[in-house]
Amino acid sequence: MNRKNLLQLLALIMLIPFFSSCGYNRMVSLEEGVTSQWANVENVYQRRMDLIPNLVNTVKGYANFEQQTLTQVIEARAKATSVTIDPTNLTEANLKQFQQVQGEVSSALSRLMMTIERYPDLKANQNFLELQAQLEGTENRIAVERRKFNEDVQKYNSYIRSFPRVIYAGWFGFEKKAYFEADQAAKEAPKVDFGN
Amino acid sequence: MKKFLSPLLFLGLFLSLAKAQELPDPMYPPRLVNDFAGLLNSEEVNRLEYKLRNYHDTTSTQIYIITVSDLMGYDLADFTFRVGEKWGIGQKGKDNGLIIMIKPKVGNERGEAMIATGYGLEDVIPDALAKRIIEKELIPEFKEENFYAGLDKATTTVMDLASGKFTGDDYLDEGGFPISLIFLFFVFLYIYSGIRRQKGKSLGHSVPLGAAMGMFSNMGRSSGGYSSFSSGRGSFGGFSGGGGGSFGGGGARGSW
Repeated sequence: MNRKNLLQLLALIMLIPFFSSCGYNRMVSLEEGVTSQWANVENVYQRRMDLIPNLVNTVKGYANFEQQTLTQVIEARAKATSVTIDPTNLTEANLKQFQQVQGEVSSALSRLMMTIERYPDLKANQNFLELQAQLEGTENRIAVERRKFNEDVQKYNSYIRSFPRVIYAGWFGFEKKAYFEADQAAKEAPKVDFGN
Repeated sequence: MKKFLSPLLFLGLFLSLAKAQELPDPMYPPRLVNDFAGLLNSEEVNRLEYKLRNYHDTTSTQIYIITVSDLMGYDLADFTFRVGEKWGIGQKGKDNGLIIMIKPKVGNERGEAMIATGYGLEDVIPDALAKRIIEKELIPEFKEENFYAGLDKATTTVMDLASGKFTGDDYLDEGGFPISLIFLFFVFLYIYSGIRRQKGKSLGHSVPLGAAMGMFSNMGRSSGGYSSFSSGRGSFGGFSGGGGGSFGGGGARGSW
């Protein structure tokens, strides 16, 4: 054990009595908050994934519906299902990738919904109307859970990065976590909400 | 250490203040009908308040009616969920809050309405159903500026759903009116006429079916049924505002 390590160890031992007041426990609980909120985020995205097959089946039944938009949705979904993040590893790169594949699903879906504008029968279909309401609700849920996730991350990040915790948070493996960035799809979440 | 902390603290304080200023605060004293946009007259406000308060007192479910003429730059859904979260609508842990948010027509902007369900109500009032309530009960009345009538109907439906009087499937299938209620009505009529006959008053069969049906068809309109209530102004007590409930994005919206 070299001198530097020894010093660190000593400093650590000296700090032990202060941990309860210096926020170790709080760091843990804030990190847990972020982790569990991440689960909520994944849940709502999964909810959207689960809706897509229903939607595709409903739309597919309509004569000469444009195949291309449907295929795009299916492909984007397949791609997005393959990207999941381990909640203990919420790095910027990971989150960015997640956001990108989900963003593709969003835009494929909004293209699909736009195409449906041209099919009045389909628009009046009860089954479709319900799916549409569910999809809108899901987009809202995604927006809400993302916002909550960002708030939790912000709490956690500002806590571990403020003095004096900024000095020792890293020793215990508390790293800065990444945020969702406001992308176009998120800003206009209920895109599928068309002229009602 | 103080030197390090104070800018951070200040920034944090500033940010939270700036955020808080943008969203409206609940009216004081706390109430369930927060008519910021002034769409209802005071008697209508009182009736709705009474109805919702009653429901809250028996079930702890908080149904808020909020009207605003300005969304402060937020999207309607975003605004509604943020307000719900900030006011803590619903009970903590149960998350049984519901918001009917209305932004009336202002100038060229369309009127918008939203029903937002707390986590705990997402099962009994799924999105498709919330959408249906908006399209069938709120929007048609709102188009005619009958805000009270729309809200009265919608709150009755929401209460019945939330207390399990009928299920979402009933509502969707029966086109808005549960068969069981119609059935109950006739049972009631039968018993009632039976009693009258026993008492020897000849009224028994003289309640004509037509009139009964007429009464029935009016039921939807005055389903609040609190028409005798009018003098309760300012007499509500014991409501202490939101209970710390939380929203997860459930609900639906519509516009007119």
